[in-house]
Amino acid sequence: MSPVEGKVMALKEATKLIRDGDIIGCGGFSVSRCPSAFAHEMIRQKKRDLTLVGSNLSFQMDLLVGGGCVKRCESGTGNLEKFGIAFNFRRACEKGRLEMEDHSHLAMASRFLAGEMGLPFMPLMSWLGSDILQHKQPSTEKKFTMIDDPFNPGKRVCLVPALNPDVSIIHAQKADEMGNVMLGGCLFHEVEMVRASKKVLVTCEKIVNSKETRKNPQMTTIPYIYVTAIVEQPWGAHPTSVFGYYDYDGEHLNHYQECARAGGEKYERYLNEYVHASETFDEYLEKVGGTQRLSKLRTSRRQIKR
Amino acid sequence: MVPRKAKDYTLRELMVVEGSRYVKDGEVVFVGTGLPIVATMLAQRTHAPSLVFVVETGPVAPMVEPIPMSVSDPKIFNKAVRLGSLRDVLGCILQRGLCDLGFIGGAQIDRYGNVNSTVIGDYLRPKVRLPGSGGANDIASHARRVLIMTMHEKRRFPPKCDYITSPGYIDGPEAREREGLKGGGPDRVITDMCVMDFEPESKQMRVIKLMPGVSVDRVKENMGFDPIVAEKLEIVEPPTEEQVVLLRNEIDPENVYKTR
Repeated sequence: MSPVEGKVMALKEATKLIRDGDIIGCGGFSVSRCPSAFAHEMIRQKKRDLTLVGSNLSFQMDLLVGGGCVKRCESGTGNLEKFGIAFNFRRACEKGRLEMEDHSHLAMASRFLAGEMGLPFMPLMSWLGSDILQHKQPSTEKKFTMIDDPFNPGKRVCLVPALNPDVSIIHAQKADEMGNVMLGGCLFHEVEMVRASKKVLVTCEKIVNSKETRKNPQMTTIPYIYVTAIVEQPWGAHPTSVFGYYDYDGEHLNHYQECARAGGEKYERYLNEYVHASETFDEYLEKVGGTQRLSKLRTSRRQIKR
Repeated sequence: MVPRKAKDYTLRELMVVEGSRYVKDGEVVFVGTGLPIVATMLAQRTHAPSLVFVVETGPVAPMVEPIPMSVSDPKIFNKAVRLGSLRDVLGCILQRGLCDLGFIGGAQIDRYGNVNSTVIGDYLRPKVRLPGSGGANDIASHARRVLIMTMHEKRRFPPKCDYITSPGYIDGPEAREREGLKGGGPDRVITDMCVMDFEPESKQMRVIKLMPGVSVDRVKENMGFDPIVAEKLEIVEPPTEEQVVLLRNEIDPENVYKTR
């Protein structure tokens, strides 16, 4: 199974494990724990024709769509809530450049749940009577099937297929050098998605020693056997938040949204300045104000304190 | 002592206050961002201190504060008894049948309370691509009661939704039962002009209360279909001074949700 050594890598090296055309499980939800560092590096490495799957795809997805990496999404939503819709996503859908296969959040969680347990599908009692059952993208072979409940004849049940991403990318609070991952705050769809995935790439705020993991095994959210690569990347979810570490950067999110809304040259300038012209994610962090400005996000809200 | 009625308030604030009135103490309430979260925070601070706040990202029973920008905002996790996952809350609470009340909103709402938050125009080549269901379809499918909060604009009330993201009464009486939906369907639609329920026989939207100073004609002029109008129309009760003070000073002092 998974090796115990050699999982700690640089961002560049880990991102090379993603191949064009892969189905990518995206961690993060709205403005929280988005794998931004991975998204930047994927754009720099010119990944193409990716299918992004997740629950709420937001900042990470919009960056990758804007960066030309994505041909398809399968998720419940594409938005940043109060910060607005994912504008690159909106534009690409409207122009027919991006396929969005609509699910609900429970459906995505159910598909990952089937995937992580080695099951072919999961029953779902949502979607009944809605147009989620009526429409699908032409390239989707079978989005769902309806059956008569074998144990309660006459009751309809919707079945949704298991989803096993080629690679999942998540940003965690902590991981150890073996690859054990400790997530904090809400877990979204990530645990099921990660355990369903063929490869798992993790950036984290801090790498800890596995001796500590063995002392407090109940803190491990995802054991190392599922994990392929660990990258220590503090602020790796910026401008989204990491529970216990920092709040979202509203100012930068608004700036991003303004550029994404405008699209065209304005968005290209954003990508050039922050992504292409940065060799590493740390260089980007310097551009958005460096540790002095970012440290304010650590203390600005009492709710994010450990 | 009879609480004093506020004299100075906006219709959006009253909308929030009216929304909070449908939240009963002790209920399990599923909330997303927007005005519903303001309404639920108000209910929690007034008549429903033991309501169980549930948010789709995974927190169970938080004391939400200060006002969050997102369902993933750390502020929405404040003092929760558990920080779980989508499966915990959408699966093990909502689909499991433990949710009393769910809030949803959307770009289009038709006469049967079906809601569209997916696309305007053709699905494959949309005129406007909207965010999508998120947890809304799950809430509309499973919650015992659903409250819809929306601004009262003609484009938001078309005769028929371009896409049914979240089913209301679909095409009339018995439709939810026919489709196998367990949840009870929409209970009220609360707008900045009126409150509507669904007439029990036809399951069609019915105006039952007007916001102070708003006429039935104005309500109807701002809808794409003719709603049923109740024989006896009530006026939505104004907020108390305490409610307005709570909204302005404690719940949303920075006016994030633009209620004033």
